[in-house]
Amino acid sequence: MRTRGLFLRWTARDLRRRWLLVAAIALVLALGTGTYAALIGSSDWRRESNDRSFALLRMHDVRMTLSEGLTADAGVLADAVTRIPQAGQVQDVAERLVVPTLVDVSGPGEQVLVPGRIVGMPVDPPVDLLHVTSGQGLRAGDPAVVLERSFADYYDLPDAGTLRVAGNRAVSYAGHGQLPEYFAIAGGGGGSFTTEAGFGVVFAPLETAQQLAGAPGRVNEVVLRLAPGADDEEVAAALEDELAGRGLAGTAVVKGEEVVYRTLYEDIDGDEQFWRIIAGLLLAGAAFATFNLTTRVVEAQRREIGIGMALGLPRWRLAIRPLALGLQIAVVGVLLGVVVGVVTGRLFGGLFRSLLPLPVWEQAFPYATYLQAAALGFLLPLLGVAWPTWRAVRVEPVEAIRVGHLAARGTRLAPLLRRIALPGRSWHQMPVRNLVRTPRRTVLTALGIGAAIATLVTVFGILDSFTRTLDDFDAETTTSAPDRVTVQFTDVLPEDAPQVAAVSAAPQVGGSAATLLVEGTARAGGEEVPLALSVRDMAGGLWRPTVTGGDPADGVVLSEVAARDLGVAPGDRVELDHPQRSAAGVTRATTEVVVAGTHPGPIRAVAYLDRSRAAPFGMAGLVNVLEVSPAGGVTQDELTRALFEVPGVASVQAATAVTDSFREALGAFTSVLGVAAAITLLLALLIAFNATSIATDERAREHATMFAFGLPRRAVLAMSMVESALIGLLGTGAGVGLGYLLTRYTVEVQLHRTLPEFCMPAVVSPTTVGVALALGVGAVALTPLVTLRQLGRMDIPATLRVVE
Amino acid sequence: MAHPLRQDARPVVDASTTARGSRIDLDGVSRRYRVGEVTVTALEQVDLHVDEAAFVVILGPSGSGKTTLLNLIGALDVATEGRVRVAGQDLTAASRVERARLRRHTVSFVFQSFNLFPGLTALENVQFGADVAGREHPREAAAATLAEVGLEARAAHFPHQLSGGEQQRVAIARALATGNPVLLADEPTGELDFRTGVAILELLRRQAEAGTTVLVVTHNREIARVADRVVELSSGHVVGDGPPPGGRAPVSELHW
Repeated sequence: MRTRGLFLRWTARDLRRRWLLVAAIALVLALGTGTYAALIGSSDWRRESNDRSFALLRMHDVRMTLSEGLTADAGVLADAVTRIPQAGQVQDVAERLVVPTLVDVSGPGEQVLVPGRIVGMPVDPPVDLLHVTSGQGLRAGDPAVVLERSFADYYDLPDAGTLRVAGNRAVSYAGHGQLPEYFAIAGGGGGSFTTEAGFGVVFAPLETAQQLAGAPGRVNEVVLRLAPGADDEEVAAALEDELAGRGLAGTAVVKGEEVVYRTLYEDIDGDEQFWRIIAGLLLAGAAFATFNLTTRVVEAQRREIGIGMALGLPRWRLAIRPLALGLQIAVVGVLLGVVVGVVTGRLFGGLFRSLLPLPVWEQAFPYATYLQAAALGFLLPLLGVAWPTWRAVRVEPVEAIRVGHLAARGTRLAPLLRRIALPGRSWHQMPVRNLVRTPRRTVLTALGIGAAIATLVTVFGILDSFTRTLDDFDAETTTSAPDRVTVQFTDVLPEDAPQVAAVSAAPQVGGSAATLLVEGTARAGGEEVPLALSVRDMAGGLWRPTVTGGDPADGVVLSEVAARDLGVAPGDRVELDHPQRSAAGVTRATTEVVVAGTHPGPIRAVAYLDRSRAAPFGMAGLVNVLEVSPAGGVTQDELTRALFEVPGVASVQAATAVTDSFREALGAFTSVLGVAAAITLLLALLIAFNATSIATDERAREHATMFAFGLPRRAVLAMSMVESALIGLLGTGAGVGLGYLLTRYTVEVQLHRTLPEFCMPAVVSPTTVGVALALGVGAVALTPLVTLRQLGRMDIPATLRVVE
Repeated sequence: MAHPLRQDARPVVDASTTARGSRIDLDGVSRRYRVGEVTVTALEQVDLHVDEAAFVVILGPSGSGKTTLLNLIGALDVATEGRVRVAGQDLTAASRVERARLRRHTVSFVFQSFNLFPGLTALENVQFGADVAGREHPREAAAATLAEVGLEARAAHFPHQLSGGEQQRVAIARALATGNPVLLADEPTGELDFRTGVAILELLRRQAEAGTTVLVVTHNREIARVADRVVELSSGHVVGDGPPPGGRAPVSELHW
């Protein structure tokens, strides 16, 4: 039929006239689908990168570490491996000496003195290979060490140089490198938390490490690689038993339980859950907006469709133009979605690379995820136009072509409209009336904005929750002696040891309190929680935690979240698995103890025991940590540097180091979330802009009538702005509510599942609500300003003549 | 929202002229449009002088320039040539703000397709006119005007709940509620049946008798019979100007 060509030309003309609107709606769609694909698709390439990185460096399957302070002659641990029943399943073995230290890489103008660790290892190990990222690796006969890559990168250290470790001993380093356990710096031991900025790891030839630690010929750790199909748990348990029988207590950890390994994979799962929420919200916002906007554009053509029907055109032919609009938006949206997906993916890839510099990063385009999103992105605009088209071709032609059919249409809310009478001039009624008159489009527009605002509130709410927790933790940590430092010794010592006395008697020290920090496990009702148990003076000392529930001297004080996870309350009893020193060496023992109370700290593992109750645990009179406050006139930095030089001191760090590290990590996290927030903001503004733009077209005659009666442009604009603000308020209200619920879900369910060691309350700060209101109401209210020129250039007589 | 008119609510015309209509003067007025490469002349050298409180019908076929003429008088458009004066104000050099002010306080419109605000009730639509013109007690004025057009019982109804004739009566009431001395009606009966159209003309006629200057644009020659004066346009030129042939007829004698 000839009309086919006509309809195609007509469609092309439509596109030329409203290409900007098509592009803007398509961009809304693309932001939703592209970001969805980029966020959800990141899981695949992160898993792939993890797998390949761990495989490249032949990561161990089992790691056995002796209890703190224990060492054995080189070869003893490897020999123990050959004695276990599963020895035949062990493919590779390497012994190591791992000791805490302080690392000083201060240069001109910058003081860098942080706690760290020396990892003494074979120069050419068969398991846990050292991946050298710059400079040289470990070499036989060369005492030079290798600096952990993230630490070196953070401080922009050269490939080779000199550093100093505890005891003020100078060591040459020849390069930067990575070991699988240090792909991410997440723990400084003892339940503390740190980042690459606050923890320096030094990889050293075994002999160099032994020399630096003052333990020649000694080792304290063994790592194994097992044959495929071997039961790592069984091997770990057998090795623990074998060494315990030799008086060498320790803990064997399988690969799946290694903090870094577990965190890297669980992070992906946790992030995926979180990204699904964010991406789902963005997609929902884009979907509501696309559906709403395309519907409105097509509804404006209903009269033309009616004329076509009156002229006897078949309905399917009449559907060509509106469906072509949907198709245009779908195609442009899908294409733009690829661009948004690629750009967002690269942005995220870059951020992840800088946050987590793995040896292998494989970032493939997530075709499968994108195809899902693209299919949805393709269908949405088609549905958006199909609905009003179907409605348009269902009515009788005479109805469709009647003047005022659309403009004067009533709704079931007409009785309500009549009751909504605001004081003031008649045009004051219009913004509210316009919203109530078209409830479906009002709700869809508000939902689009609401979904974007919910995303924003969720993103910022998570940051608020972290910040509040850290603030509370800081406040708790600094209730007394806020400038104190924590001094860790290289060994567990008697209280009257000369190393302890050397620290206490240093002229820079104002006061000190002895503490023993040991790792343990609490069990109750079939649940267990790993603990970092601080044995300290709960009645005195430089600082003591806030305890609720009873007398802290009666037993163990658990964190509130540990007590919750164990299902215990003050007065209940738990089994405590802990190291026990005796003449035969260090063994592990289980002691039943009363829960004396709980403390509000956010780290689940942190627990306290009064020193007066240490005897039954075999820990009486021992110390490995000294809390020290500076003498009058001495700064914290001066104290730290002075103690660095004391023999036997492994590390010195401020009491607030944990929260400082968390804040550092949060900064990196914020940059990732910032991308999501920026996309969200763009989406909300685009939705508002499109809605305003279409509303301006729809109301052109009303505006022209107002102008004909002499109403100034600013009054018409103010009406539009009030209407936009009301929609923004509706959307923002819904968005803030939904965002709060999602923040609670993410923090209390998702984060607790992936990061059970850390507990925080869900908080949405007034600042976040303020930002949401400013963007969702303020910025959205301003979008009509973009129509200022259009209103100013309106041909009033022509617009008044136009029949809709 | 603050009242956008409060600062300039003072009428631009003298109070004495607004009380009983306003004079309209067009001298050598032309209006040309550029449509692509082509210049279209809508009006050419039109001279027109309308006395206060006159009832004038502008008659002409489609494309004769009658709506353009109305738009120039109503300060919706600006002449390309010549001078337009309404209520003593020269619109030729008037700024956008001055023209808007004239529309608020001197002229008011009735459109062929009503152009009522769908979100406002009949009473509120009428009140809009009173509000814009800055009248005191606009709601009371609107209620009185709505009663004047016989629609007090429909005050709380929305436009979509009214018939075409009722909608046009609301549109007229909205124009009247401004209290402005010049009323411009563009094909006010174009979309109405005969009975309703006659009622509308009766209403407009009464306004002129009450002192308002009324200009009605139409292509319906029958309507011209009720006017004091008929100005006939053709291709942008005035081709006739004078009382209706056979003298002014009462509205009741009209047929179409």
